[in-house]
Amino acid sequence: MLACVKVEAIDYGDRRVYTVASFNRGVAGWLARLPTVWVEGEVTELRRQEAWQSVFFTLKDPESGASLGVTMQRTRFDALRLELRDGERVHVFGRPDLFEARGDFRLRALSVERFGIGEHLAALERLKVKLAAEGLFAAERKRPLPRFPRRIGLVTGNDAAAKRDIVSAVTGRFPPARMLVAEVYVQGPRAPAAIVDALRRLCEEPEIDVIVIARGGGSFEDLLPFSDERLLRAVAACPVPVVSAVGHEQDTPLCDLAADVRASTPTAAAKLLVPDLRELTEALARRRTSLERCARRTLDRERQRVGLLGERLRRAPALAVERRGAALERQAARLQALSPRATLSRGYAIVRKESEVVRAAAAVAAGDAIEVEVAEGAFGARVE
Amino acid sequence: MNELTFEAAEKELAEIVERLERGEAGLDEAIKLWERGEELYAFCRKRLDEAHGRIEELAREVQS
Repeated sequence: MLACVKVEAIDYGDRRVYTVASFNRGVAGWLARLPTVWVEGEVTELRRQEAWQSVFFTLKDPESGASLGVTMQRTRFDALRLELRDGERVHVFGRPDLFEARGDFRLRALSVERFGIGEHLAALERLKVKLAAEGLFAAERKRPLPRFPRRIGLVTGNDAAAKRDIVSAVTGRFPPARMLVAEVYVQGPRAPAAIVDALRRLCEEPEIDVIVIARGGGSFEDLLPFSDERLLRAVAACPVPVVSAVGHEQDTPLCDLAADVRASTPTAAAKLLVPDLRELTEALARRRTSLERCARRTLDRERQRVGLLGERLRRAPALAVERRGAALERQAARLQALSPRATLSRGYAIVRKESEVVRAAAAVAAGDAIEVEVAEGAFGARVE
Repeated sequence: MNELTFEAAEKELAEIVERLERGEAGLDEAIKLWERGEELYAFCRKRLDEAHGRIEELAREVQS
């Protein structure tokens, strides 16, 4: 492994042995080839003196307790004007380094940035903007939840409370509910990957129609895994709808935005996940009542219609005779209107001389006997 | 009715009731709908009565 750097070794027969200095130099040379990286941790044991070339501090991982020594050029450190206090969270940009004289491994810092809640929030905001631009939180991506999930997948921490709260809220509302619980780390750096894995494994199980991710309230840092980009992408890509029941009302992990729907309490989650059994049973019974009532109404209506038809059928012959009679009357009236008698009844008269109808004054002479017919009878007369 | 899910049965029952409520169905159809509705109702009831809640744990995967 050290063959590629110039280190001196002494051969004792078939055993190659390095001096401490050459071993350290070899390792140092190897480490120097690693790239620069960002490391996050809490600052402790900061040591700075005017006489020193470098400042020293220890970077600590609060979750696991792992620690790492850091050195930084004093002038470079001073230029940052950070005024760091113990326990502050920072991001250190640097490369691995070996202090050859002592074989001490450490991180040689090129830059340090404070990473408090403000910076966290800013980073989350950047992530939120980025994912929103991708459309990951878009309303049209939200899927409706099944009304009657066959099985509900539950991702929850191994703290019993969140699990118990959801399970009892769901089964209290809908006792026949079937749930499959995946207990995972919901806190610390391992949580996002663990939750993503639990989502995947739940989806591989049969009959899972919806998944709820549940976690009780916690500090801002506690809920950070629920804003992790990997988790958000897994939630958005989940083949079944996801309910986010993380934290309390005032918490807004990004997971709430990526999920299909957010529930602020276990009770709210249960309402989204299952129907109320009592309401459901009552609604079913009501439906059955309307079913019967409506069907009977149709039957009654048909019966009435058929009854009416029967009556009309029985009345039809008499109606036909009546109708004919009326038609006859109308014909008779028309006939009447056309007869000359009708004209006479309006006051006209027919004049005849020797049975011939008189149509001109010249046809008669004074002293002629004529016959005058009016509407009611006839009489004789003499022309003057 | 083996393939039927509770959700589908409940939805069909609601549709049948709505159809009957509108009063557009003729006699034969109304009777058929009624029969089907009763069948669906019985199916839903049975499903609810028979269902037993179950809470299971997803087996932990062996950690490497």
